[in-house]
Amino acid sequence: MGQFIQYIINGVISGSILALIALGIVAVFKATKVVNFAHGHLILFGAYFYFTFSVVLADAPFMPAWVSSWEPAWLIAYAGDAPMFSPRAAIASWVSDLPRILLGLVGALAANAVLALIIERLIMRPLLGQSAFAMILSTVGLIWVLEGSAGLIWTAEAEQVPALGPNFPIRFQLFDQNLFLFSGSLVNLLVALLLFASLMLVLRYTRSGVAIRATAEDQSTAYAMGINVPRVFSTAWLVASTTGAVAGAILASRNGLSPAIGLFGLSVLAVVLMGGLDSFAGVLIASMLVGILSSMAQWKLGGGVAEIVPYVAVLVVILIRPHGFMGQEEIERI
Amino acid sequence: MITGHFKTDYSADEGIWSNWPKRWGLVAALVGLAIFPFVASNYALLLAGQIGIFIVAVVGLNVLIGYTGLMSLGHGAFFAVGAYTTVAIHHEWPLTFPLITLVISTVVAAAFGVLFGLPSLRVKGLYLAVATLSANFIILFLIEQEWLAEWTGGISGTETPNAVFFGVELVSQQAKYFFIMPVMVLMLLFAQNLFRTRFGRALIAIRDKDYSAEILGIALFSYKLKSFAISAAYCGAAGSLWAYFFPAILPEDFGLNMSITLVVCLVAGGMGRTLGPIFGTILILLVPELLKIVAASITGGDATAQTWVSPTRDILFGLMIIGFLIFEPMGLVNIWDRFWRFMSRWPFAK
Repeated sequence: MGQFIQYIINGVISGSILALIALGIVAVFKATKVVNFAHGHLILFGAYFYFTFSVVLADAPFMPAWVSSWEPAWLIAYAGDAPMFSPRAAIASWVSDLPRILLGLVGALAANAVLALIIERLIMRPLLGQSAFAMILSTVGLIWVLEGSAGLIWTAEAEQVPALGPNFPIRFQLFDQNLFLFSGSLVNLLVALLLFASLMLVLRYTRSGVAIRATAEDQSTAYAMGINVPRVFSTAWLVASTTGAVAGAILASRNGLSPAIGLFGLSVLAVVLMGGLDSFAGVLIASMLVGILSSMAQWKLGGGVAEIVPYVAVLVVILIRPHGFMGQEEIERI
Repeated sequence: MITGHFKTDYSADEGIWSNWPKRWGLVAALVGLAIFPFVASNYALLLAGQIGIFIVAVVGLNVLIGYTGLMSLGHGAFFAVGAYTTVAIHHEWPLTFPLITLVISTVVAAAFGVLFGLPSLRVKGLYLAVATLSANFIILFLIEQEWLAEWTGGISGTETPNAVFFGVELVSQQAKYFFIMPVMVLMLLFAQNLFRTRFGRALIAIRDKDYSAEILGIALFSYKLKSFAISAAYCGAAGSLWAYFFPAILPEDFGLNMSITLVVCLVAGGMGRTLGPIFGTILILLVPELLKIVAASITGGDATAQTWVSPTRDILFGLMIIGFLIFEPMGLVNIWDRFWRFMSRWPFAK
């Protein structure tokens, strides 16, 4: 039972990251009706930008010393002689990394936003109104463009980046079983869920959120009502790229920075279809389900099976419910 | 558009070679194919063999995407099924006649096509694309499993047999060329002929509007499945040839990369046309080679500068996909048509 709960916890943590990634795909689909196969590579770029700003730039010689390692007197006093891996030592080292983490996040968000705007303007806008096939394939082409550019700009080696939160093991007891998790994963979970929830609130209560929902409902009516539809498209891509940058930073700090992050995005696409392309709630459910199923599969059947869990799950769900858990059914007229 | 349709009776209207450019174009192509291996270098023959195999697969994909209008991003899996069936047959019975292996591989791949075509009844478009993509991952996962490793070689791949015709082992590129090209030509002719039949017209009706086709009395499910079976069979045949052509195969050869390359060949060439797959495959497979040659001449074979060749190739590949979709969505065939239209009217109009 204890092991079971342990794996459920792991599943929820990875599920929350899946949800954060899926968010970007759903946002773009809702606003522009484009299914972004290259979202994983957008995330890859986010991860590389995070690396560039938080490691390469922070350690650059022209940067003030406090950026690469911030050590005010009170922090040194706080850390004192705390033993390694203790919460206090982890928090102290996190605080001293804080400037570079913030620099990395801000830089990654900004750079990814610019990248997304360029993609939207140069590639997606000319294809508006084309068939779904052309849309899918152009984002597939984008995969190669992004992957190749990443290979040209950054060397394709696994690199370490600072984690978003302090990282120390937390041990606790439940049902007389010892369970543990890393505080870093807990921070990732909170960040992912907070972003997800705040985006829901933005969509519901702000002007631009209402504009996105109206465009999702009916593009031409939205135009007629004076909504700037092209700007809605840009907004959607901005949302996708910025949440993607955060997801990239999380993934890179969790598993190391490598081009494999891009492929991860494809399995998220399966999750999105499972939940329903245009339903945030459905996608959240599907992400949690896939996260938990994968971690169960890892426990019982080994890591190889865990990798194809999303694909098997999406096949089963699509066969039973063609539009996912909560996706809206398309109505075709002849 | 090729001019010269001078028909005087209905039998001429039904003919495959409706006019002289088609007839003589075919003859010229066949003669060219027959002469090519005697003048080409080994490297050119290697490329030609690869292109021939890919053409078979892309023609099969054309049946599904171009003529039936069903999207698939998982045909690399059927390619894998064909290749691994061939390897497995030769593992059990080393001296099987290659054509028998080819036929069996084709049939097995068709069976897998029917199995993974099942979602096409419920879903289409994007959902089908992702369903087939999932099928691709699942089939490759199965191939990599330990309990199949005796036949498939598992994750580390396996060596493949050479084709043996009546005691003659096909080892040289030239010999393999003479095995691949007749198969390719026959399968091209079959595909070209398929769409003059009732069956082919039914598929085209499904592409144009599936519900309308159903109202006209076309059994959607069975036709969609048959279309999946035919296209998977083509890919299976291509896979079998692939296994004979290359000394070894790896599961990852048949991953998403191959599936998407197949689709890209089709899009670059032009969907729903017989010439499309030929043009597209030649373009998509030759451009990386050209890039390699250009890069070698620029860098002078400098090893450190070579590191940017592979990323550049990726970028070029991606840009070609996007470029075709934005500027020439009908593919190379459209350029070809425009050229002949221009020629037939010249000098009177543009």
